[in-house]
Amino acid sequence: MSTFARPLWMLLFLFALPVLGGDGDLESEALFGALRARQIGPALMSGRINDLELHPTDARVVYVGAAGGGVWRSRDGGASFRPIFDKHVQSIGTVAVDPVNPDQILWVGTGETWTRNSVTTGDGIFKSTDGGSTWKLMGLEKSERIGSIEINPQNNNEVFVGVLGALWSDSPDRGVYKTNDGGATWTQVLYQAPDTGCADLVMDPNNPQVLYASMWQFRRTAWSFSSGGAKSGLYKTTDAGKTWQKIHNGFPSGKLGRIGLAIAPSQTQTLYAVLETEKEQDRGLYRSDDGGANWQHLNGDFGLVVRPFYFSRLVVDPKNPDIIAKGGLNGSISRDGGKSFRNLGEMHSDIHDIVFSNDNSDRLYVATDGGLYRSWDGGNSLEIVENLPLSQFYHVSFDLAEPYNVYGGLQDNGSWYGPTASPGGKFPNSPPGIKARDWQRIGVGDGFRVYPHLTKPLIYSEMQGAENVWRFNKERDELKTIQPLPEPGDPKLRFNWNAAMAMSPHKVDRIYIGSQFLHRSDDTGDTWVKLSPDLTRNDKNKQNQSDSGGLSKDNSGAETYGTIFTIAESPLDESVIWVGTDDGNVQVTRDGGKKWTNVVANIAGLPSETWCYHIEASAHEKGRAYAVFDGHSRGDFAPYIFRTDDFGASWRAIANQSIPNFVRCLQEDTVNPDLLFAGTERGLFITIDGGLNWNAFTNNVPPVAIHAVELHPKTHDLIMATHGRGIIILDDISPLRQMTPEVLAEEVHFFKTSPAVIRSESGFGGYSTELEFVGPNPDRHVRIVYYLKKRHVFGKTELKIFNEQGDLVAELTAGKAKGINVVTWQGLLQPPKIAKGKTFAISGFEAPRAPAGTYRVEFTKGKDVFESTIEIVNDPNSPYSDADRQALQKTTMELYRMTEDLAYLVYQIDSYSEALSGLEATKKTQKLRQELEQLKGTLVITTGDNYVGAADPQLREDLADLFGKVVQGFAPPSVPELANQNEVEGRFQAAQKSFSTLQKQAIALLEKAGKMPELQPYDLFVKTKN
Amino acid sequence: MKRILFLLVLVVPVFGQEPSVDDIVNTYFENTGGVAAWSKLNGIKMTGEFNQGGMKLPFEVVQMKDGKTYTKLSAQGKELRQNVFDGETMWSTNFMTMKPEKADAEATANQKLDSNDFPEALFDYKKKKYTAELLGKEDFEGTQCYKVKLVQEPITVDGAQVENISISYFDVETGVRLAQESEVHQGPAKGQTQQVKFSDFQEVDGLYFPFSLTQGLKGGPSGTITITKIELNPDVTSADFAMPAVEPEPAPAAQESQQGGN
Repeated sequence: MSTFARPLWMLLFLFALPVLGGDGDLESEALFGALRARQIGPALMSGRINDLELHPTDARVVYVGAAGGGVWRSRDGGASFRPIFDKHVQSIGTVAVDPVNPDQILWVGTGETWTRNSVTTGDGIFKSTDGGSTWKLMGLEKSERIGSIEINPQNNNEVFVGVLGALWSDSPDRGVYKTNDGGATWTQVLYQAPDTGCADLVMDPNNPQVLYASMWQFRRTAWSFSSGGAKSGLYKTTDAGKTWQKIHNGFPSGKLGRIGLAIAPSQTQTLYAVLETEKEQDRGLYRSDDGGANWQHLNGDFGLVVRPFYFSRLVVDPKNPDIIAKGGLNGSISRDGGKSFRNLGEMHSDIHDIVFSNDNSDRLYVATDGGLYRSWDGGNSLEIVENLPLSQFYHVSFDLAEPYNVYGGLQDNGSWYGPTASPGGKFPNSPPGIKARDWQRIGVGDGFRVYPHLTKPLIYSEMQGAENVWRFNKERDELKTIQPLPEPGDPKLRFNWNAAMAMSPHKVDRIYIGSQFLHRSDDTGDTWVKLSPDLTRNDKNKQNQSDSGGLSKDNSGAETYGTIFTIAESPLDESVIWVGTDDGNVQVTRDGGKKWTNVVANIAGLPSETWCYHIEASAHEKGRAYAVFDGHSRGDFAPYIFRTDDFGASWRAIANQSIPNFVRCLQEDTVNPDLLFAGTERGLFITIDGGLNWNAFTNNVPPVAIHAVELHPKTHDLIMATHGRGIIILDDISPLRQMTPEVLAEEVHFFKTSPAVIRSESGFGGYSTELEFVGPNPDRHVRIVYYLKKRHVFGKTELKIFNEQGDLVAELTAGKAKGINVVTWQGLLQPPKIAKGKTFAISGFEAPRAPAGTYRVEFTKGKDVFESTIEIVNDPNSPYSDADRQALQKTTMELYRMTEDLAYLVYQIDSYSEALSGLEATKKTQKLRQELEQLKGTLVITTGDNYVGAADPQLREDLADLFGKVVQGFAPPSVPELANQNEVEGRFQAAQKSFSTLQKQAIALLEKAGKMPELQPYDLFVKTKN
Repeated sequence: MKRILFLLVLVVPVFGQEPSVDDIVNTYFENTGGVAAWSKLNGIKMTGEFNQGGMKLPFEVVQMKDGKTYTKLSAQGKELRQNVFDGETMWSTNFMTMKPEKADAEATANQKLDSNDFPEALFDYKKKKYTAELLGKEDFEGTQCYKVKLVQEPITVDGAQVENISISYFDVETGVRLAQESEVHQGPAKGQTQQVKFSDFQEVDGLYFPFSLTQGLKGGPSGTITITKIELNPDVTSADFAMPAVEPEPAPAAQESQQGGN
């Protein structure tokens, strides 16, 4: 069974799909052409989901609106999901399905609404009229966060939108909006104040004139959060938004916070609201059975009052008005109309949404900080969806292993490391690629920076706010916490939630950690020295986190402020260290920490106190550094990247308006100083001219928030930590290093590529279940990379590979895209011509590897021919000698030739036999034909099928099996293989001898009859491999 | 090629800034030989190779105006027919038994719907009551294109009617189609987008065909079909499409299987 898997899969692939019938300027996205990133996930821990939505009638369709990872759809009841919103901002507030035309019309309100410190913003409201294939921005561009979309089921052009709005600043763009024309125009129908948005909006499905809206006064700063105020409240309209009445009868007086709201679809006079109030005893669940006219307080359990800003989601069973589910730390459910609740079953904590299937309330879906869960028994037992790669990384680092591993921490999903390639491919359930089981956990809570020690089996991993900084010995499975602790005389150490850590490029045992001070350890964290005074502004007014939260105290540590946020030791001089703080300082020392200079004042055009998110110390010039600032926590979304060449004495801005949102991080190329990579809140941007022009890199990098970017020194891979789509890798950016204006002016330009390495690959690997996400491996084949000034449309193209002897060894398909094209060659010659039999000789589909050497590439484009070379090298770590390889090659090619000789022998037998059949059927001709057929019967299988009906193998099959074994190996042929070669060769020679005798008889008979067949000459016969 | 350039001079300025979807579709057919010539075509036979990273597999595809079609593959000297449709029955050769097997009823019914789609669905789309819509301009792999959505008759998937939507990208500069996309409705790739990219347009008796078709899942694995020869109005008979009767195999001597069916 197993041996069939690969070649037949290849054949089947062909039929899996039906056969269907400017100039290169620096501004164009066409620059990057077919260069494509790979998303390696992982999905085993998934990530935060903001909103769930179901199709009203088709129970197989489920929509997921991820906090940072876009919109996904399942068409199989939640078994598997595909992204449908990858060209647009990935922060999702809500997804809505049109009740009238649910297969075609979909709405997405962007901008996550569970307003934790790490949320980002949206770009407005989008609509699809073709079932999610294409999306159109319908407005509300300044809304930042959209929480609700309610569509009139009697007139689907009438849509109401609840806009939560800006989190970090005042904004008039919030409240309730209405369109009467399917989204072409919008009217703001409910507005309270610039700091008060719509937290929840529900429509009475029986009477679409009636809507309920909860308004929430809230504000977040970098150092505080405030939920609640006099402007929060619950409102009702009975005239489709023209007028609104406050409906607080039964609510306590005083300030209110976030209100979650739900209507019972089966009994629409019944409403539930969950309230955040001034007095603790007033908090929790309220119920109204008269359309909101009167409310009764039912329950103040922990599950109902916990963290209202994060969990105010109420959902009522579509069939039973007394079954209510509530988001929360664990999620809870009531089956008695809200009087009592019990927790939902075991799953990841932090529940943000719950939906009951419309046709079976026992089936429900739950959105958590750790992905999507399914339940078939009303929420008692739950199972995670394993194919939603929504992981929200804050940082990423790498090691120097082959393949290298990536390390990083995630929002509420701890810290992990895993390989960037993983073997497999030989068997079903063992695909080549990075499987869930390849990942190792090395942290809990919110994980942030993780660094491997480059020479010892140690990994450093930090938890939120440096609550723990672990040094993990992976060989000994030993954990030690190593973070700096206050010593006598120290003030309280202030660590950012996302506490700064850095490794030294010069000393392998050195680590830096930033509180308000810079701490350094030169002994893997056993001892620490304070290398600086307080490098922050140390504004005491912004250090009252114990009062943070508003009506509900929320002092998780996430708002600790006045902290060091980024640290960079110059790769050119260990005494040059840069520090950036969350309160906008840029400090530099040139003497290893004795003297510090705050150089931020030298940056013109930067608003004061803007968060310094990342400093990149240049690998090209000692005085050069890049400082990236993120103003979003002040409501400033401008991109700020500045460069200094003189240790911060002067700076120039290098970001421009082609970057549409703020930037968090920057990676300088280590070879081409003009090549820079910016991780922005809307994806990856690249400049090849030092920042004059920036281009979005969109090929498999959605507009997702990128929190960190690194460049691997050995593979030249760009590694991105995305906050919602896991780790994304752009393999081998070296073509971008070679991009110059001169190159862009050429019609065709070949880039230099690294030699392809002949690596051993067994095809064995780990196991994955059918619906589990598997991250793709890098393409390790021979890469031919070239730039086309213009897309090739008309005329023939050919891409041929010749060896050093000038023999044509492969013909490939040329890439045609404008920009960079990447053509891969598996580095294989053609499989041998195989004798024709009744069935396939499966091993005969194997092909010999092209040996190490330099190969000439000939690219024919219309009448023009362009040339380049590529190189294949042997694995320097291979245990085999050149003599071993030559022995392998010799045997391989001997078997290859014998296979083709046998094919020709069978061809001759068939030809003579057929020709003889055209003669008069004498005893002699019949006997000769019989003898020929008997001979053939020893050479190839002539009966049976390709599976368990297979006949006994004959010479062709035995020869092909031996060829298959030898050709796939890397070791020299073994003694049994060589003995077996002698055995098949003996049989082949005997067959040739027998044929020779029969051939003479056949020729005599056929010549006599004048019916000699015209046989193809050998060379021509074997040239056509199939 | 000369003909194309000549036509471009004629057609492109007519677009001005706002071409209609019909301008785009007509230009496509005009620039590839002319509507009249396409309407006279009764069938094509394409011979070529499927190439995946240098591994090649020869094939022959025939598509006829009445919807009959076959694909013939060659491997190890054996020919296998796949996706054959004789107007009523759709069948393929099973790779294990090497015997013909019928496609399932839904696939056959869906194939039958395509019987009026020669030379392709967009041709005369209005007569077939299809709808086409211009979705605007969009870069396709860096080349500016008109994006056109076509809705054909609904197909049946797992018992339910599903809209049959495809998206085509027409090169703004030359008017020819560079790619087509549609959603996969069944199987393990369900929900993903399949994509065919067209290039290497060359003339065959006055009509222009893409001689290179790269098909696969959008952003996923793909393979390219390189066409070496196209024959217009090929000489075929109904026997070329008919599902052959299965001849009983001579009873083989009892043998112990070495290959488990596990």
